[in-house]
Amino acid sequence: MIEAIDPIVLQETALDVGEFKLIPALTVVAMLVLFLGVGYFFRVAAVDELWVAGRSIGSIENGMAIGANWMSAASYLGVASLIALSGYFGLAYVVGWTTGYFILLIFLAAQFRRFGKYTAPDFVGDRFYSDWARGIAAFTTLAIAFTYAIGQASGMGLMAQYIFGISYEVGVIGLMAVTIAYVALSGMLGTTKNMAIQYTILIIAFTLGLYAVGWTQGWSTALPYLEAGPQVAEAASIEAQFVEPFANASYYAWIALAFSLIVGTCGLPHVLVRFYTVDNERTARWSTVWGLFFICLLYWGTATYAAFGGLLYDSEVTGGDGFAQMLGIEADALVVLTAQLADLPTWLVGLVAAGAVAAALATTAGLFITASSAAAHDIYTNLYKENATQREQMIVGRSTIVGVGVLVALIGLNPPALIGELVAMSFAIAGTVFFPVFFLGLWWENTTREGALAGMLIGIAISFGAILNDTAIPMYTGVEEAVIPGLATWVPGTSSALVGVPVVFGVIIVVSLITDEPPQHVKRLVRQCHSPEPMSKMESAEDAAADGGTPADD
Amino acid sequence: MYDTILVPTDGSDTAEYAVEHAVDLAEKYDADIHALYVLDTSAIDVSLGTEQVDRIQQGQFEDMPELQQRANDATGAVASRAETHDIDVTEAVVAGQPHKQINSYATDNDVDLIVMGSAGRSGVRRALLGSVAERTLRSTQIPVLVVDRQD
Repeated sequence: MIEAIDPIVLQETALDVGEFKLIPALTVVAMLVLFLGVGYFFRVAAVDELWVAGRSIGSIENGMAIGANWMSAASYLGVASLIALSGYFGLAYVVGWTTGYFILLIFLAAQFRRFGKYTAPDFVGDRFYSDWARGIAAFTTLAIAFTYAIGQASGMGLMAQYIFGISYEVGVIGLMAVTIAYVALSGMLGTTKNMAIQYTILIIAFTLGLYAVGWTQGWSTALPYLEAGPQVAEAASIEAQFVEPFANASYYAWIALAFSLIVGTCGLPHVLVRFYTVDNERTARWSTVWGLFFICLLYWGTATYAAFGGLLYDSEVTGGDGFAQMLGIEADALVVLTAQLADLPTWLVGLVAAGAVAAALATTAGLFITASSAAAHDIYTNLYKENATQREQMIVGRSTIVGVGVLVALIGLNPPALIGELVAMSFAIAGTVFFPVFFLGLWWENTTREGALAGMLIGIAISFGAILNDTAIPMYTGVEEAVIPGLATWVPGTSSALVGVPVVFGVIIVVSLITDEPPQHVKRLVRQCHSPEPMSKMESAEDAAADGGTPADD
Repeated sequence: MYDTILVPTDGSDTAEYAVEHAVDLAEKYDADIHALYVLDTSAIDVSLGTEQVDRIQQGQFEDMPELQQRANDATGAVASRAETHDIDVTEAVVAGQPHKQINSYATDNDVDLIVMGSAGRSGVRRALLGSVAERTLRSTQIPVLVVDRQD
């Protein structure tokens, strides 16, 4: 699955690049100005009465924010690309990224809300009463944000080629600089309401392109998602592998990928924190449901885009020679390429492309904030300087954003894998390292500090090792093969969690059983997290446990 | 001349440096002291995450014991210093942009003098962090006494 993209040469792609397009460029600018404007309008200028409940965030609004957080270049561009290239195999992404929300809904969303902390490393540090655990969690958070953001940078570069007619490299650097500026400007703007509006704009841009292609080609009218059957059949007749998921990849590879994406979804730090914003666990649950719905709106479209795009590529680009030989960079731009090949007006193609840029940018901004909080709050303040002032935390946070931004842009210049694959790697890390400690931490009160530490370290070794083995080391040594090819087959970098998660679970359980039990207050906290008693408005498990209240049975 | 003196503090040594001056003035003029801690929403955004700003806006501050602790420690340090001199102290916590919140608090509470510390940063650090004291000076009509800290 993983192949290095050769340095990009402009003229080789079917996407209409190399020419500055005024209207799409203005659309991108207008979207960003709108985001900032809306954010400014809803900014948190002043809260004088801190102890008075303000307006609550509803579950639909929070669900849209989850959708906006989620809707990155990987979802917007990458999933359609993977389905076009590897057919039904690519559906692992759609299956994995939606199923993960069920696990979140059933096992984690409400419990996290009850625990009520600030960041993911905070949860790990407090639950496992260990600063080491906090530090490892903060490091993992930085690694996840970094890997995830490289995929976004790659998407930005591709879209910049189309919209601004500049080279990929200039596009990556330019748009990364814009992202950093956006984060700085959006300082206190990026609140939930702003994200809900971002979601609405992005889903309109994405869906409008799909409907327009369906209409102009006479393929669909009201619901392209359901009407695309004949096109999928036609695509399959052109490229048999489209419906033969296991022709080029094994059944194991599909399961491993889907599993990694499922557990990765449950281990992503920036998804988790959204549950802290709501009043109670009921809203946390319903926001998960709504979030899943809003994400599905996007994913139903990706498969349809892939079928439409494949057919158009076949007839317009190769003249009937199929679409499987599509370049990686063409596939990653397929959503936009489809709109272009369907001869849609430039403004509409531009809107689709602008949506991709805005999706990548907004997600990256969120990831940068996740990284900065891991550095400023979890590492600098909690581990290094207890009494750091707000100003000091701000300077650490902002430097982290600039530092991560520069690194991401550098790696993004020559990304080691497709957008979807890069993001899958960050999911493999999240799934292997975080999911077991989140799950056991919330559900098994006897999980000990030593168990969590051992589990996370093993998880890091497995997930990072797999990425080094089949992607990073081959990429930078110029060797085609993975360092240990056998390992790459069973533990690929994009889907190491199928092996990693059971191993980490096992390690945590065994080590927890042979080490001293956690302190009483931690156990009580865990019990409180899934007490059958509904949580009163604004009460966290810590308050309930501190009241000394009778620990609820579960 | 001065009945109410406002001492904005972020709990840093720099801020506490100004407290001596405030206490001395309050004693001479028989004034009250208000100790104000501003939760800087921009700082919370990058250090805790945007979601936490949302929580504060929704009134979930009660749910955030660590932040409360920080705020209470900062204003408490001012209060205990002033109370040894028998000065009445009011402690307050608000959230927003520090200089704007200092100004609006001062206006709302009929403050006659703001006494605050400044780190006296220069160059790059100042460009990155700015100076709350400087911005407060520019945004308020009330007299401000800035106590520069010289290391």
